[in-house]
Amino acid sequence: MTPLDKIRNFSIIAHIDHGKSTLADRFIQICNALSEREMLDQVLDSMDIERERGITIKAQSVALSYRSENGEIYHLNLIDTPGHVDFSYEVSRSLAACEGALLVVDAAQGIEAQTVANCLAAMEQGLEVIPVINKVDLQQADPKAVKLDIEEVIGLDAASAIEVSAKTGFGVQRVLEQLIDRVQPPTGSNSSALRALIIDSWFDRYLGVVSLVRVMDGMLKVGDPVIPVSTGETHRVDLLGICTPERKPKEYLGTGEVGFVVAGVKNINGAPVGDTLIHAQHPNTLALAGFEKIKPQVYAGLFPTDSDSFKSFREALGKLALNDPALVFEPETSTALGFGFRCGFLGLLHMEIVQQRLEREYALELITTSPTVVYQVLKRNGELVKESNPALLPPPEQIQEMREPMALVTILTPKEYVGGIMTFCLDRRGEQRSMDYLGSQVSMVFVLPMAEVISELFSRLKGISHGYASMDYHFLCFQQAPLVRLNILINGEKVDALALVVHKDQAQSRGRALVERMQEVIPRQMFDVAIQAAIGNHVIARTTVKALRKNVTAKCYGGDITRKKKLLAKQAAGKKRMKQLGRVSIPQDAFLAVLRIDD
Amino acid sequence: MSIPLSLYVHIPWCLHKCAYCDFNSHKLTGPLPEAQLLAALERDLIADLPLVEERELCSIFIGGGTPSLLAPEAIERLLKLLGRHCRLARDIEITLEANPGTLEKGRLADFAHAGIRRLSLGVQSFFTQTLKRLDRIHTGPQAEAAVEEALSADFESVNLDLMHGLPGQTFEGATADLERSVGFSPNHISWYQLTIEPNTLFYRYPPELPSDSTLAAIEQAGAKILASAGFVRYEISAYAQANHHSRHNLHYWEFGDYLGIGPGAHSKFTLANAKILRRQKLRQPESYLKAKNYLAKEAEISEQLLSFEYLMNALRLVEGTEDALYEERTGMPIGQLANWRCRNLKRGLLEPGSQLRASELGLRFLDDLLVDFSLKPQ
Repeated sequence: MTPLDKIRNFSIIAHIDHGKSTLADRFIQICNALSEREMLDQVLDSMDIERERGITIKAQSVALSYRSENGEIYHLNLIDTPGHVDFSYEVSRSLAACEGALLVVDAAQGIEAQTVANCLAAMEQGLEVIPVINKVDLQQADPKAVKLDIEEVIGLDAASAIEVSAKTGFGVQRVLEQLIDRVQPPTGSNSSALRALIIDSWFDRYLGVVSLVRVMDGMLKVGDPVIPVSTGETHRVDLLGICTPERKPKEYLGTGEVGFVVAGVKNINGAPVGDTLIHAQHPNTLALAGFEKIKPQVYAGLFPTDSDSFKSFREALGKLALNDPALVFEPETSTALGFGFRCGFLGLLHMEIVQQRLEREYALELITTSPTVVYQVLKRNGELVKESNPALLPPPEQIQEMREPMALVTILTPKEYVGGIMTFCLDRRGEQRSMDYLGSQVSMVFVLPMAEVISELFSRLKGISHGYASMDYHFLCFQQAPLVRLNILINGEKVDALALVVHKDQAQSRGRALVERMQEVIPRQMFDVAIQAAIGNHVIARTTVKALRKNVTAKCYGGDITRKKKLLAKQAAGKKRMKQLGRVSIPQDAFLAVLRIDD
Repeated sequence: MSIPLSLYVHIPWCLHKCAYCDFNSHKLTGPLPEAQLLAALERDLIADLPLVEERELCSIFIGGGTPSLLAPEAIERLLKLLGRHCRLARDIEITLEANPGTLEKGRLADFAHAGIRRLSLGVQSFFTQTLKRLDRIHTGPQAEAAVEEALSADFESVNLDLMHGLPGQTFEGATADLERSVGFSPNHISWYQLTIEPNTLFYRYPPELPSDSTLAAIEQAGAKILASAGFVRYEISAYAQANHHSRHNLHYWEFGDYLGIGPGAHSKFTLANAKILRRQKLRQPESYLKAKNYLAKEAEISEQLLSFEYLMNALRLVEGTEDALYEERTGMPIGQLANWRCRNLKRGLLEPGSQLRASELGLRFLDDLLVDFSLKPQ
């Protein structure tokens, strides 16, 4: 059994591209947890999508066995954290299982708003934060300025910050030494009753539910009967072990250790993230403080293109939701798109990733409607309802007042972009709260409608600042606003899945942009297709997709029909991905057109 | 066996490969190896004969490439060898494709003497500039001379192949081409719009084509010119004087059986056990000439594809098809099409009545009609 004083649990807080994964790779190499042959680049990002996008989404862990310069062997558990603004919730889960954190900052980029927020959260939770300045080998590296930033923006002593290059390996060993010196070993006792925090759970096709846990007290052994406190159901531990990063079975996990558990949990709701595992012999053990239930900010309808796959879609969502507590969903019926689910997401990236995972891992073909926020509607009868689906808003005559969610947005940017960002945020109905000059950076705080934040604030901010500005946001309050529902009509028929809520002043321009965009994405058909944008019965914009004259090959060479068959098969495949609205075929792109009208 | 049988012979060479052409045609680089080709065609045919037993041929089509590159004597020998191995119907249609080039000049009458009964002349346009833009090697005057020569020769029927919607073509140019064609009073006109096919030079370097509205105007005016000159449209691109329909092409559209010999030639035929096969011969002329086994691909048409392929062909005909013929040629009950027929009757793509037949709209949107079938055949 590993003595507690030889265990260190830590996370890495870093912005995307600041080199977290590369640093983790170096740790794994130094500790020989992985042979050269197994050393794929950036092993921690195991999902295809993570690898492609270069970001980490799900919390993962890796157990490292490190021989220190003092000759002792230490067990280090690295619990990975996601680095995108949409996933701050996952960060807090990872932090709860750690005593320390590395704050990794790119020496050429400086500190980013998201990193600041996560770092402050770690400090609040009492974690020892060790600043690490990465990429010092780069020509543009300016470690001095970055240290100043860390001190001014976060208020963390950066005198002892470690300068490293994860790429070349420079300084990496020193980071491990500092971890051992500065991060506290876990507390708790092997002889106490078991309490293990579920950091993450996921569904494995062969094993059932697998949970990543941190043992806070007591021991977890193969064969033990355990109970997740929230369900109260007893399960027997079939398998447990550590990730190095490949799974290595063990007989037990002691206090302070991090590893995975398989306990015959078949139902995906049987081991919720944030729950505590206790021993069946001590059913009255107090649960650990869990995590606050996350609230989605963005909602969109997801519909299978093929109505036969609704059942497998429902199952797939259930499985995804197991290790993604931020994902919520409930059935939705659309006259245009049939049966589907209205899903709640943390942000647009989260939404995109969920859709891609559903399509790739579960071979589903989906149409996503345009994302919206949740609105509060005060009805004339005094009733206050929440609605995330524009199509389901009460009729205008019943509405007393519409309220939209507002976000408190913190933007961190180099000085030269302050003007551009200011103009942009004010244009988006933003209201400035404060502006502070901190070292080389400026911290700007705005109150902005959540709808503006989720649509494209992040990417536009990057555009304006050439990638240097960063942001963090959270829900603030609901606020009354003159909002109207914009309906889209295709050949006179209202398309529920295309309805959206807009600010009254923007209705005209949005409506025009939207019908023009739709005109581009809807292919020409056998007849004219009229596209209208309307508020109530009042049409505010209109375009027409002119009828195609014909669709037939002039000459068909009777002998060789293979090419013609291929061509028709291709047309059929394209058509299959379209939705029929009456006689009109609408490609999936049309349902997202609303997203791209500002491009 | 009641399904009629035709024969297609592919001659794979051309003097020049045109930019729009995606056929199995190859630029001729030396003298044409006539003797070698005839020997290979004979072996190819003999190998196929057991599959069609003693069935009579109702038509022969010699296409390409440019079959008129063969000397009339070679064509005569080809027809003789076909007659030695196959039973020919007394009124058999025998078509040769010819180009209006230098090589063919003065030879067309000899093809008639050699036994060719129907000549299909690849005129495409009478305007030299339009022909040049289309990447053809003959000129307007050559085209006119060839038409006159063909019509004065001893053919039972002469077809002019004409294209429209060509690079740089105007409404006036396209209608003038048609006016001039009907002025010659040929027996048949194939009038088709240029389609840019993949694997062609035009696909990689798209030429500028007439606008949609010009194309629409051309088609409308063209239909009038042809009709008032007594040409009846019987297929999407085919127009005939009375009793001069292309029997060979009708045979394809009615889903008859055919053997194909020559490089890359396709066959489709019904076996004694009612299964239907498609086959393709080796495509490269060099390998074909040296081959011992000519077969490149062979596959049975699945039941699911059978109706689709039948409709793909038969619905091109203005008159459509009779239920009985559908059942005879596919071996499947017509009732299986009921839902699709009903649906597309409502869409206005099929004509009401007992005959299965595309409406005027359906002929223009045949692809939509077929795609609908392939998505929901029942």
